[in-house]
Amino acid sequence: MSSEDQRATLTAGSVADAQVPDEAASNNSAPALPHPARRSTDRRSNRPLPASVLTPPAPPPPPHLDDYKSIVGQSQLDTLRFLARDLKGKTIKMVNSTAVGGGVAEMLNRLVPLLSELEVPTHWDVITGGNDFFEITKAFHNALHGAPYELTQSARDIFLMYNEQNRERMQFGEELVVIHDPQPAALIRSRSKSNSSWVWRCHIDLSNPDAKVWEFLRPFVEQYDAAIFSSQSFARQLPIPQYLFYPCIDPLSEKNKELPDSQVQQICDEFGIDRSRPIVTQVSRFDRLKDPVGVVQAYKLAKKYVDCQLVLAGGGATDDPEGAVVLQEVKEAAGNDPDIIILDLPPWCALQINAIQRASTIVVQKSLKEGFGLTVTEALWKGKPTIAGAVGGIPNQIVHKLTGVLVHSVEGCAFQIRYLLTHPEFARSIGVNGREHVKENFLMTTNVKRWLLLFRILEETKARRKA
Amino acid sequence: MPDTEKPALRKPQKAFYFNTSEHLLRIGRQKANNLCELLEALQTCPDDSIFQHTFRTLQEHHFIRQGFSNDFAHWSLFACNEPALAEQFASVDVREFTAIEGLRRRMIEILDEFLQSHNRTGSRQAHEPFYFCAADIVVLPTTFCPETLPGFLDGLNQVSVHSIHHHFIEARLRLHRMSNDFSQWLEEEVGLSDAADSIERIDIYANTLEGVRRQIARIVSQAMN
Repeated sequence: MSSEDQRATLTAGSVADAQVPDEAASNNSAPALPHPARRSTDRRSNRPLPASVLTPPAPPPPPHLDDYKSIVGQSQLDTLRFLARDLKGKTIKMVNSTAVGGGVAEMLNRLVPLLSELEVPTHWDVITGGNDFFEITKAFHNALHGAPYELTQSARDIFLMYNEQNRERMQFGEELVVIHDPQPAALIRSRSKSNSSWVWRCHIDLSNPDAKVWEFLRPFVEQYDAAIFSSQSFARQLPIPQYLFYPCIDPLSEKNKELPDSQVQQICDEFGIDRSRPIVTQVSRFDRLKDPVGVVQAYKLAKKYVDCQLVLAGGGATDDPEGAVVLQEVKEAAGNDPDIIILDLPPWCALQINAIQRASTIVVQKSLKEGFGLTVTEALWKGKPTIAGAVGGIPNQIVHKLTGVLVHSVEGCAFQIRYLLTHPEFARSIGVNGREHVKENFLMTTNVKRWLLLFRILEETKARRKA
Repeated sequence: MPDTEKPALRKPQKAFYFNTSEHLLRIGRQKANNLCELLEALQTCPDDSIFQHTFRTLQEHHFIRQGFSNDFAHWSLFACNEPALAEQFASVDVREFTAIEGLRRRMIEILDEFLQSHNRTGSRQAHEPFYFCAADIVVLPTTFCPETLPGFLDGLNQVSVHSIHHHFIEARLRLHRMSNDFSQWLEEEVGLSDAADSIERIDIYANTLEGVRRQIARIVSQAMN
């Protein structure tokens, strides 16, 4: 067997939106596209993909509130019920641009039933639009992240036309209307017809937006009662109150639920991961901003001193031209090292990702630019000592040397891999703290609590204004 | 040597209502890119920002036993690389203050003195800005309102750590005195002055909030027995 064959590089077909759904902020505005035919081996046919990952599993039913009791405790559930008591019967409408795919839809799929279970009926509406609309909103999305873009009058007109069509189609009788992201932002024009509180939930980083696109959107945003951002650093100066809602993970999802060790072992066996030796893992799309090549370099520097394997698990390489290029760069950087395992997985492999994270000794997220970084949250929740780039929302999650370790370079990452592998007590302590940090701040139940708190605060403000 | 006589326990006249406070973070208008800007913002930011970055941050990081006392200390160390300033900020015990204004003055005093003796460092760019935040607070009841000492102990063991923070740490700003809700109730309603004093002396910076809860429970149990 050649050394190239020995290195496990597993892949299945994936699509442009097939990144491991790790990031609310990365919600792609385009509606979900059908997945192309999937290959059962990687492009070099060196190892068949396990049969268990070839087809998407049926989605499990959404959990009920009481299912979270063993995780967050009765007192937290009591708090949610007390918060909801004064809102009983009052309604919420959530509006976004896609029902499936992307972190926002994933979050709403869990949030909406939980709010409704608390007797705060919550409706979820999705705007419609043609390809021309979604092409423009995708361009807006990139421009708001700082990419160069020439805003034309035609783009403005198309954006407003589809918002107007949706506005005419939708009713806004709910007490709280929440508009997610820029695509439906102009629905605020319906505000005058209703007595609702309107909130703009921005999942993207507005710290360095294209000025013209932001100036186009700003007048709409300023008409809302409040705006919500995922990090302090993502916000803009606005005349309305701005709240901080961290993105969250669901501890009962396939990606994060507890797994029996036998299942973790089975999945590792399928991928050729040796659990008897230290495992360093990064889970992310094959995207330069996630710096997978930097992770390989850090691993190689660390390996001069400590024995370990490197697992790079992600997706998006098969059908995204840039992803394929990055995957190739990663393979070249990996060379013929049999301890580097590269997994190009389809988007439904949440359970496999869960198992790999749980089997890992250390998790790395060496991003160069990041939204909030929910893969970090996932790793912390599993109690894993985590090394991550100090970018985007990651410093909100990793308090350096207390809930994880922040790094700024390949060399720093390499040193921390060595240090954590040779100081297991310290590694364990930051893992324990990291899990507590997630439990306190980044779980779905905390997200439900934030929405209830905001709703109460807005209702009180409204009542004061009336009085 | 004769045993010290224990004071008789009184039946409380008033129940202890365990409440909890929940906070929704607001992003403030001020931010500091260096220590001079931090000083300016400390002088002008609203009281609830000072509360957020001192009292509240303890609650947000309640599971950490050491190394995290307030956001100003943390930022001075990790964004400005000023360990001496960080140590001074970290040494401020929020429980020495019964009003935010005094706490604000102390923070300003520390930073002002530091900048006077390190005048070149004030304008040096931090690795990342300090974003001032604040919180909207909603106080909620819990299911626990005991009228007996055993009931108090039961409630203490079952409420969330947010409730412990509300009664034990935030209480000073409400009571405007150097005490906490637990000590006050134990002293005034049950006559346990020594236990009340012992509880007041628990070090919140060397303990997690769970650790604080356990210590309070131990002191109350000992007093009961």
